[in-house]
Amino acid sequence: MSHDVEKSIGKKELWKVFFRSLTLQGSWNFERMQALGFAYSMIPVLKKLYRTKEEVAAALKRHLEFFNTAPWMGSFIMGVTTAMEEQNAREKEFNPDSINAVKAGLMGPLAGIGDTFFWGTFRVIAAAIGASLTSKGSAVGLLFYIFLFNIPHYFVRIAGIMKGYQAGIKFLSNASQSGLTQKITKGASIVGLMAVGAMTATMVEFHTPLAFEFTGNKIELQGVLDKILPSLLPLLLTLIVFYLLNKKQVKVIYLLLGLITFGVIGKVVGFL
Amino acid sequence: MWLEAILVGIIAGFGILDSRILGDNMFGRPIIIGPLVGLVLGDFQTGLVVGGTLELIFIGAVQVGASSTGDVVTASALGTAFAILSHQGAAVALTLAVPVALLADRVGDLARIVNTPLIHKADRYASEGNIAGVERMHKIGFVVFFLNGFLPTFTMLMLGSPFMNALIQSLPQWLLDGLLSGALLLPSIGFALLLQMMISMKLVPFFILGFLLAAYLKLDILGVALIGLVIALVLSQYDRADEERMTV
Repeated sequence: MSHDVEKSIGKKELWKVFFRSLTLQGSWNFERMQALGFAYSMIPVLKKLYRTKEEVAAALKRHLEFFNTAPWMGSFIMGVTTAMEEQNAREKEFNPDSINAVKAGLMGPLAGIGDTFFWGTFRVIAAAIGASLTSKGSAVGLLFYIFLFNIPHYFVRIAGIMKGYQAGIKFLSNASQSGLTQKITKGASIVGLMAVGAMTATMVEFHTPLAFEFTGNKIELQGVLDKILPSLLPLLLTLIVFYLLNKKQVKVIYLLLGLITFGVIGKVVGFL
Repeated sequence: MWLEAILVGIIAGFGILDSRILGDNMFGRPIIIGPLVGLVLGDFQTGLVVGGTLELIFIGAVQVGASSTGDVVTASALGTAFAILSHQGAAVALTLAVPVALLADRVGDLARIVNTPLIHKADRYASEGNIAGVERMHKIGFVVFFLNGFLPTFTMLMLGSPFMNALIQSLPQWLLDGLLSGALLLPSIGFALLLQMMISMKLVPFFILGFLLAAYLKLDILGVALIGLVIALVLSQYDRADEERMTV
């Protein structure tokens, strides 16, 4: 095996990996999930670093092992992996098994961070703002939706591959030691939970037209409820659904059908 | 109908591929699919409104990792298409979206099973050091996922339009009203699912705070989120101060 210093990774290879990383889930399957997409993304790096058939085969097989993470975070792991592959190509005594160990160690925590940030926070806020505009007929909502989600998305993707490569393994041990990942996840959860609380108050349309006759005065139930706590009914409903889902393990499909049935009965009987 | 069915099918295929090969830009959501379908069926405005309304319903539909609660892409493409074709608006889309999402999801499972032999073939190419072979296997997956969006949508539109129209016209008004008011309750499931993902006992007050800010002060979501961001930043500073004291 020849290991000349010339074969080093530059910006060009990293950009190629970035573009390929967009297809990470392109052949997703139940057995090894994003593995083929990961191997496909790493090919520009492998082509640059390895010459012999044996080296290429070993590297390809390495990246066809099980892989799954939040798609937006994949490029960061690829950056780190690129740094490690480069080291592997240079140093005879480097243990290639450590590459998959690092990948496996990163994909879980990053999936958690990515889902909390992008799925739980950015998407929810972008959709809440965007859809509240488009559902009233304003196309500007589309722009809000697309940019609120995708500016942070592409920032993380591009910074991920570049910084991941530069920092390599060093950053990782630092980040997990200082508890940085936990702090970031906690911060995102706070923002996300507050947004969910606000949406519960504004987006579950649950009010009642019921009214009672009381000593000649007509009393509307909704007005009384609003004095106790505005959006009380949406809050109660969401908490009941959460309880059924979390404590009683009721399946989502039964909850869907249950609420639809509740809606039809409510309309017919007249409390909705 | 052929042309419309093909175009709406392509939109559904695009919606699925967004999360597969375009980096997951969240284009496979009702808010984007609705207006696109509206555009090809010649009624952008209805598509926009129906898509936005569906988005509010599906906002919490979780699709994290391998588990999912429905194929939102196919549901929004077909829901919007029938809403426009039957001239009945969002109520039709809402009624159709949930059952279609659940059914089409099984098609998505099928695609993920069909993809499994690809990786076994890729294994063989890898051990031969055949880079082009591995790349080809990955790209076949793109076609599988496109068809996953295209085929159910196209078929349902070709078969279903007259049938669906007749069905929708024959539904009594009280049922349509009831289904709509039921559908408007569905975001609560989405929010409950998000809570399940994020909440811990310590963080419960933040959910309540967000609720109160919106319920009493009528703040919008962005305002609440920005306040949340400030709180998260302040708290992280306290965390750091605590650690410094402990290490001294």
